[in-house]
Parts: sequence; structure tokens; C-alpha cells
Amino acid sequence: MTAISSASGQSAAGQVRPVVPPVPRPDINRKRLARMGWGFSAPALVVIAAVTIFPIVYSVIMSLNNVTVTGSGFSLDGFTFSNYNLLLHASLWRDALFFTVYYTVVTVIIELVIGTCIALVLERLVAGRGYMMALLLLPWSMITVINAELWAYIYNGTYGVADYILGGLGFGHPVILGTPTPAIIGLMIADIWKTTPFVAAEMDGASGWYTFWRITLPLLRPTIALAVIFRVLQAFGLFDLPYVMTGGGPGTSTQSLAILAYNALFKNLAFGPGAAVATSTALLVLLGCLASLRVFRVQVGQEGN
Amino acid sequence: MRNRKRVGWHKYVNGVTISTLVTVLFILIPLYWLVASSFKPPNDLNNARLFPSSFSGGNYSNAFVGYDFGIYFRNSLIVTLATTALVLVLGTLAGYALGRLPMRGKFTTMVILLIISVFPAVAVLAPLYLLLREIGWLNSYQALILPYTAFNLPFAIWILRNYMIGIPKEMEETGRIDGASALRTVWSIVLPQALPGLFTAGIFCFTACWTEFLFALTFNSSNNFRTIPVGIAEFGGNFQVPYGTIFAASVVATVPIGILVFIFRKFVVSGLTSGAVKG
Repeated sequence: MTAISSASGQSAAGQVRPVVPPVPRPDINRKRLARMGWGFSAPALVVIAAVTIFPIVYSVIMSLNNVTVTGSGFSLDGFTFSNYNLLLHASLWRDALFFTVYYTVVTVIIELVIGTCIALVLERLVAGRGYMMALLLLPWSMITVINAELWAYIYNGTYGVADYILGGLGFGHPVILGTPTPAIIGLMIADIWKTTPFVAAEMDGASGWYTFWRITLPLLRPTIALAVIFRVLQAFGLFDLPYVMTGGGPGTSTQSLAILAYNALFKNLAFGPGAAVATSTALLVLLGCLASLRVFRVQVGQEGN
Repeated sequence: MRNRKRVGWHKYVNGVTISTLVTVLFILIPLYWLVASSFKPPNDLNNARLFPSSFSGGNYSNAFVGYDFGIYFRNSLIVTLATTALVLVLGTLAGYALGRLPMRGKFTTMVILLIISVFPAVAVLAPLYLLLREIGWLNSYQALILPYTAFNLPFAIWILRNYMIGIPKEMEETGRIDGASALRTVWSIVLPQALPGLFTAGIFCFTACWTEFLFALTFNSSNNFRTIPVGIAEFGGNFQVPYGTIFAASVVATVPIGILVFIFRKFVVSGLTSGAVKG
């Protein structure tokens, strides 16, 4: 019972006529408030559903159909499983899945570890913490496309500063964005530069190593778990950075699931297979969510429903 | 141990200051490269010169005159401001309801919102594109405002709900006894208390809209409706990437969001901790 309804119940009971049962009034009030609540949430929920839930359902339908692109649009020509069959037998999809998972997990772990270390050091900083915080948030607030262009310039094979430095250190002149492994490492460094300071800001107030291990970490375990799950799942839609920096290349070595889906849909106009890639990506994220539903529940329940 | 007095040069040279310095340099060096390159004349851009040989504003004027960066900036501003306003209004109403009103099924609603907020945008890309084409909304502001609003609302509702829960119930009851309407109660009693939550939700929404790329690339490809990220990504010609122009435009695009984040930094950080852990 909420404070509002119990308060009105009390006032009814406190009147001169205690004979009147105080039960019905709060109930009516409760119903009225609940209706009002749905009225208040309806605009937001309708917009969210219209742009997320319905299109996802439509994506699933498209992925299960033979889609023919016509001059004026496209048509769905009957149920088929061939789009998914194509995925399971295509090395492109497997490679993209492998790259996305591997890239996401490695960057999230590195960002979390370094970010926490930075936070633990900054916690002991005496002066200028406000400015430090603003500096930590600056790379996060930058447009990812800008980050991609900046690092592509740094890695440039003929006039990039990374090329000069590597050459000076005796590593020769590797074509950074033109060779698979260096390209992946290059992307990861750009990602780590943008996200690690943000993680450090997020971990602010970690209160020293001892307190951190003994008190903060155990206390925050569900929160950290949620943060990690969140970041991994969010990073699963990886698109901007590799799309601008490498275009998924060299070859397909940095092609994420989102880039694969985008290219299939809007470059090759293969709507069926494209929808299948998009749907499979969403499905994997959904599975990740369901696997961590317990953590999510704890999060919602914490506020005492 | 933590309060040990440091004497002599140890006061300035110690683990904390050195690590801080390393962190600052790690963040600032690439940023320096971005700003320095934006002022370099064309010849300097083709070698890794540490300082520009002469400061030139040519890249900046080229971004606005040679390319249409002014249009992109205006488009980004319109889409971002409209979305942020919408998200705050709809998010406040929903956050208030889901936080304080006795609705059945709000637990499930919150979990679903949490799941939607991590959903990859690519999953809705094709159907949304077809829908927008059907209703003739491709290359328009609303083509971005609508999906941005939907994708930023779940997080905003979460943040605002968490703030609303912390407001004492008595204040609201006073309003109700006075006979104020429900909307008025939210406006004049709940909203002022939830102001930090509004700042947090607002700054996160603004940043997300300002930086979004995939929807903008897919839905608004015509020059007149491109936003900054798409504009900058497409500056490159087929043979030569005009890095000087790109970086000049990048500096102009980063300054406003940098100032906002500087002003609202407290709310970004508090959003991070209170959005996740509260109470």
C-alpha cells in the first residue's frame, strides 16, 4: 500500500464515523492512480515500441522470407529458412561473429582494468579533481567518427605519426591499417583511448586499494557485473569505428556483425540475408540479456517495488 | 598511510602525480594532434611535424566554404535539441509514473526497458528505413528525431525513475490535498526535486544524439540533411582524404559538447553511479 492511499485511509478512519469501512476508498484511489500512471507512461512507451519492438518483429519476418527487391520497393515471397542456412554455412558470418565477440571482450576487459587503476590513483589526488573529471569525460563525449578519422591519420602509412615512431624504434614500417592483426590492434587502441577515461570517471570514489578489494568490490559486485554486461552487450553493435577506420578491412578482418548486416542490406540490397544477420545479432544480445536477467532483476528490485 | 606527510621533492614527484601525469598525457596527446593538425597548412599535413610551421585558418574556412559544414552543424543542433527536449518531457512523465504510482507490471516494464537500451540499432535498421521511405520521411529531421527519442528514452526513464523514488512522499501529498491536478503536481513539486536527474538524462541524451552515426548515415544521405558525423565521414574524396578540413570541422564539433560536459560533469558522474546503484 502506498503512503498516499494509507494516508487517505487513516483520515477516513480518524473521522467521527468509524463504522464506515476504510477499505474501498484507497482501492478506488489506487486504481485511479494506476490508470493515471499508464496514461503518463503511454506516450513514451508507444514511441519506444513503435521504433524498437515492431521493427524487430518485422526484421524477423523479413529474415524468414524470400525477399525480392523490385523497382518500387520489395516483396516478401513466402517462408524460407534459406537466409539463416546461408549464415550458418557462410564463413563471412562466422568471421564477423568471431571478430565482434573477441574485439568486444578484449576491449571491455582492458578498459575496465586500466580504468579502475586510474580511478584508484586519482582518488588520492588532492587538487584539481573537478578538472580531471572533465578531462576524463572529454574523449567519451567526442564523436566516434572523429576518433576514427584522427587515429586513421595517426596510423597513415606514409605520413602518420605512428609510422615515424615505430620506424624510429626499429619496428620498420608496417602498413598498420592494411594488415589484419595490426589493424585490429589499431582499432582497439582507438577504442581504449576513448572509453578507458570514461570507465575511470565511472569508478570514481573507489577509495584506495584496500577498501576497494575488501569493501567496494564485494558491495558493488552486482553493479560492476551489470556495468560489464551492459558494456559488452552495447559494444556488440560495434559499427562506427571500424566502418570509418578500416571499412571492415583489410579483406574482412575487421568486419563486425553490424557492418556485415549494413553492407548486405544497403550495399548489396540483399534484404533477406541482411535481415538474418541483423536478427541473429539481436538474438545474441537478447540471449545475453536473458542470461543476466537475474542481475537485471536485482537492479530493479533494489528500489523496493 | 594515506595521510602520510610528504616532504621535500617527494611532495611533487611521487606515484600519484606521475600516474596522473601519464593519464593526462595519454588523453591529451591525441587531442593535441587533432587541434595542431587543424591549424596546419597543407604541406605540414603530409609529414609528422610536431608543431605547425605557421598557423593557418585555411582548414576552418574550407570546412564552411568549400564543404557544407555549416549545414551539417545546424542539422545536428536541430535534431539533438529537439530529441533532448522530447526525451526529457516524455521521460519525466514515464519516470514519475513508473517510480511513484501503484501500477501493476511496472517491474516487467523496467526490465524490458533495460533490455531495449542495449539492443543493437542495426536490428531495426532495415524495417525502419522501409517504413520511413513509405511515409516519405527519408531525408528529414523527424527521420532522426523519432528513432533517437525512442532509443534514448529507456535510459532517461531509468535515471529519472531512480531520482523520483528518492523524493519524500509528503511533498507530493501536500500538493494533492491542495487539489492540484496530477500534471501540476509533477510540474511544480516533483520536477524541481528531480532537477539533477533531468541534467543527467539530458546530457547523456545530448551526447548520444550528437555522436550518432548509423541511423544518420542510413536515413539522411542527402547533403541538406546530413548531420556532423556523416558529413565528416564523407568529406573524403576518392583519392585524397582532406585531413586538415576534417580536423578543423572536428574541433568545431567537439567544442560545444566539450563545454557542456565540462559544465555538467558532476551530473554525468552522478548519473553513472546513481543510475546503476542507488540506495
